[in-house]
Amino acid sequence: MAVTAPQPGGIADHIHPEPQGFIRKYVFSIDHKIIGIQYIVTSFVFMILGGLLAELIRIQLMNANGGFMTPDTYNEVYTIHGSTMVWLVIVPMVTGGFGNFVFPLQIGARDVAFPWLNMVSFWMFPPAGLLLYASFLVGAPVAGWTEYPPVSLQGGPGTSMWCVAIFLVGVGTTLTGINFLVTALKMRAPGMTFTRMPLFVWAQFATAPLVMIATTALAAALAALFMERQFGVPFYDPTKGGSPLLWQHMFWFYSHPAVYIMILPVFGIISEIFPTFARKPIFGYKMIAFSSISIALLGFMVWAHHMFTSGLAPFLQLPFMIMTMVIAIPTGIKVFSWLATLWGGKIQYTTAMLFAIAFIATFTLGGISGVFLAAIPFDLWAHGTYFIVAHIHYVLVGGSLTGIFAGMFYWYPKMTGRFMNETLGRWTFWLFVIGLNGTFVPMHWLGLMGMPRRVAEYDPQFQTINQVESLFSFVMTLAILLFFVNALWSIRHGKRAGHNPWHARTLEWQIPSPPPYYNFKHIPTVLANPYAFDEPVPYAGLEDELTDSPAPIPAGAY
Amino acid sequence: MRAAVAADQFYQETRDLRVTGFLLFMVSDLVLFSSFIFAYLYLRNTGQGWPPPGAPHLNLALAALNSVALFGSGATIHFALENWKHEKFMKFAGWMLATIMLGIMFLSGQGIEYYSLYTVDHASWAGSGVFGASFFTLTGMHGLHVFAGIIYLTVLLLQAAQGKYTFKYYTGLTLGTLYWHFVDVIWVVLFSIFYLI
Amino acid sequence: MEHFAIVERSAAVFFGMLVFIAAAVALKNDWKATGVENQVFKLMLALLAFGALLGIFAGLGIIGKA
Repeated sequence: MAVTAPQPGGIADHIHPEPQGFIRKYVFSIDHKIIGIQYIVTSFVFMILGGLLAELIRIQLMNANGGFMTPDTYNEVYTIHGSTMVWLVIVPMVTGGFGNFVFPLQIGARDVAFPWLNMVSFWMFPPAGLLLYASFLVGAPVAGWTEYPPVSLQGGPGTSMWCVAIFLVGVGTTLTGINFLVTALKMRAPGMTFTRMPLFVWAQFATAPLVMIATTALAAALAALFMERQFGVPFYDPTKGGSPLLWQHMFWFYSHPAVYIMILPVFGIISEIFPTFARKPIFGYKMIAFSSISIALLGFMVWAHHMFTSGLAPFLQLPFMIMTMVIAIPTGIKVFSWLATLWGGKIQYTTAMLFAIAFIATFTLGGISGVFLAAIPFDLWAHGTYFIVAHIHYVLVGGSLTGIFAGMFYWYPKMTGRFMNETLGRWTFWLFVIGLNGTFVPMHWLGLMGMPRRVAEYDPQFQTINQVESLFSFVMTLAILLFFVNALWSIRHGKRAGHNPWHARTLEWQIPSPPPYYNFKHIPTVLANPYAFDEPVPYAGLEDELTDSPAPIPAGAY
Repeated sequence: MRAAVAADQFYQETRDLRVTGFLLFMVSDLVLFSSFIFAYLYLRNTGQGWPPPGAPHLNLALAALNSVALFGSGATIHFALENWKHEKFMKFAGWMLATIMLGIMFLSGQGIEYYSLYTVDHASWAGSGVFGASFFTLTGMHGLHVFAGIIYLTVLLLQAAQGKYTFKYYTGLTLGTLYWHFVDVIWVVLFSIFYLI
Repeated sequence: MEHFAIVERSAAVFFGMLVFIAAAVALKNDWKATGVENQVFKLMLALLAFGALLGIFAGLGIIGKA
């Protein structure tokens, strides 16, 4: 193979040699694209497990007297379901998965700043997941995904395994956050100023510091819980002078930012899909970018709104309520900017676009119930009921997961070079949206009527609604199974997509699909932000990317 | 010549990445310490008064001397790096050795403190109450950082002696210095909150 | 243990002054250095000098519980 002459230069011209052999290529790969796909596949595997647990929960709840599982097993099942979906599915998917695959391509880099560290971060994730599921063998944790003491101090050794597993995932995501932040700060292609970054890059850029700071706080809380359980070091046990509230503070100082870790990258995905399929510049580019940053900042100031019923001093409650409501402003700015992007556009109803449009509706519902819950009087009423369950599922399923599906349909052609089947995609979409709303809308009613969350048996008056929910949840499961069938089938049999099937304008679509290991033959120069649809693509130096011109020469191993 | 220019640019850019990444690592490590410090201050201010019953008596005089030793190591490692920048290897090695010795001194002092808390003074240990929990967790975590730092600096010194770093390319030494400074400065906070307030 | 205390205290004061001076001099020499790591170094040196002061005052018995 002929090669071009090496150019003198910095990292932009430093190319890893092509990985050889299955192990280096697909298992211990340092290529950000492969690592991204590894994250996505692993997360989907855990999503199957977590979804299975969800269906077990729904089967149990079909009968007011329970009977399918013992209450203890039920506690274990919903704890692991929640932990799986948060830490093993959504967080790794949106940061490690889409972040790794898309974001270095979009800034015109050859890889992330520390490729080897990236591999290490990924390989902390599957063992942690296995450890979490292994806890079923010795008695899984029972205190819910929030693991409030004193209950979490009492359970079997499974809770300690839970601590270690979540700690491991946390270290991995922290390292990813550091990696991404350095990459975003230092490795953008020439000419890509901050106001020329694609909005998905802005979203990752806002998420990375959240990941880095919040997850470390969780690590401390987990370490303390682990020490208390294993070595009797008192932090949380009130009989020894500790404080259960301390855990709540430390946990929510992580877990509230964590919901923004789970949603901000999805905002980024949506902000890419809308302009592409409305064939129109995104409305309010700067406002969307800055609202990501302000959501990230505000996210650190609101954690105690989870603790209104925990005995927080009233003078502390009020500021937390106000700050929480303030977050609705940047979020609203985003939603209205997306709507304004659609306004007057030539909308193409691809499956990705359908999911993105559904995202606006379902996420906004979750956001609105969030504003309800921020109001202290309402929270005192709804705390610990199914209203909370409805809220979190609207935000995480209706928000994050819907956005993840949109992103999968959108970037699948870039990952594999083939389309996913659109007919199956539409079936997936409609079944998913119907199942989603059918399952979670009635939970609002149940909550307002007073059905407590996390109960294995309940008052018979709620039975009919619960049965309806369970039926709809089977519909949603069917939709997700259809999605998996579609994704697996399309790898070999999907229609070939070419390099830019959606006529999108960000950098990742200007190179072949799937991208070669070096990403770009020449690092392009960026001339403007990518959303001006009536003008030519604003990049210089991309002429060779799609031709047969020789690949650039590798400059030694990293 | 072209190759040399290219190597230099590559070095500068990699150095930039590594220093930034390391600073961010320090930020997240700082958050780890801050979380435990928050836990300590929270327990201190919400319980039934402080010190809690049965809390041991800390040795302020020893701790003051010990702290000064650790702070001194921050100064010595600074001199080490300055000498490296001025291409004086022997002086660099001397100051590095001094830093490592001061680090070992600090750890020994901590060992004495732990031992006396454990044996003489009420047989206090991490499991004996919230005071023990916060004190031994935080100082223990810091002690582990110092221990790791001593190994880190020893490795750097050996590598420098073997010629891994040149007087022009020495990112690894900068990172080591940053780490050690970080460990020192954390101790300023820990010393204040456990011994002074 | 008590009879060591006076030795330890005076050593803390003496070496604390030494460290304070060293940190202050290093800070002065570095004052004009640029680059992100040097800014951090300066911050760290300032905090070290502050820490040395704490050590001196603790040695003198001005602050601290004992």
